[in-house]
Amino acid sequence: MASQTTFEQEVAQLIVDSLNLEDVAAEEIEPEDALFREGLGLDSIDALELALAISRAYGVQIRSDDENNRQIFQSLRALSAHIEANRAAS
Amino acid sequence: MSRAWFQQKERGSPLALRIILWVALNVGRRASRALLYPITAYFLLFAPQSRRHSRNYLRRVLGREPRLMDQARHLHCFAAVILDRVFLLAGQDDRLDIQVHNREVFLEHVDSGQGAILLGAHLGSFEALRALAVGKYDFPVRVLMYNDHNQSITQFLEALNPEVAASVIPLGRTETLIQARECLDRGELIATLGDRVAESDKMVACDFLGDTALFPQGPLLLAAVLKVPVILCFGLYRGGNRYDIVFEPFAETIDAPRGQRDEALAQWVQRYASRLEARVREAPYNWFNFYDFWDDTSR
Repeated sequence: MASQTTFEQEVAQLIVDSLNLEDVAAEEIEPEDALFREGLGLDSIDALELALAISRAYGVQIRSDDENNRQIFQSLRALSAHIEANRAAS
Repeated sequence: MSRAWFQQKERGSPLALRIILWVALNVGRRASRALLYPITAYFLLFAPQSRRHSRNYLRRVLGREPRLMDQARHLHCFAAVILDRVFLLAGQDDRLDIQVHNREVFLEHVDSGQGAILLGAHLGSFEALRALAVGKYDFPVRVLMYNDHNQSITQFLEALNPEVAASVIPLGRTETLIQARECLDRGELIATLGDRVAESDKMVACDFLGDTALFPQGPLLLAAVLKVPVILCFGLYRGGNRYDIVFEPFAETIDAPRGQRDEALAQWVQRYASRLEARVREAPYNWFNFYDFWDDTSR
């Protein structure tokens, strides 16, 4: 199992808490695995709630018209990197 | 389990469709409505599946064994409403007599800038609402729906009114509901239908016309997550050229925190199903779910 960075641990915890994933532990989320559909099996309502939680926690807005969405939601690693980059920029 | 509509191919070849649409736009409503009789007869004779679903539905709503005339009326009503979609989308709604009831429920939410969800059903003409709101009065209404179903008719209707087509937010993408939220944040209204379950939906088993049927949790879940009000709306076809668009306040806020979400939403979805049942009883031939809605085949 690949290990999570400190920030990825934090984001993994945010995912588990905001989506109330009862059968998933934050430290079990593989950083490179898919979050949506085949991976954690998240759907559009999860994406919405996750975007709301990220906006509240980090002030980072995930926009529907962002062409990089596919990549941003790709994995825990990609999502964490996106948050970190945009948080640093603001 | 009734996701049956999702797999079912829509009947009516593109050629037949083109002919009636050409007549509609070039000859007029009266001539094209005359064509509805042979079309209804065709469906009665050659669409045993649609007929069976119509019969199973009519038996429930009428409380008796439906007669041939009941089924003919049901199919004719469906064909007439589809035909009128053409006039609505082509901006020829002056051919129709459309009465709007409880307009203030709708306008209040437009004016408040708060955003709201307009929840309808496959009952009568949702187009009457959509074409008038988007096309004619320029209200900020976006339609949340599956885009890929019934390709040939969708393409034709989109070509008739690109503005209405552009107002669609397609379901089924990861960012679909993020986009819906952005629209609501701008004070726009999101219109969607609450009576068909798709592949990926969570479902609620509801009591509907005396039996259990599945309804999607999705539309009311969206309202709960975004804390926006829900207004019910139906475009009921009354025969001839008459339509009644009715608005009905449904929920100011839906409280369904994660953890107790399914229980809370189940009650709300049942409330929707009950209100829908009341409207269906009021306009029984307007019900346009010609598939195994109650999952009769596996009973």
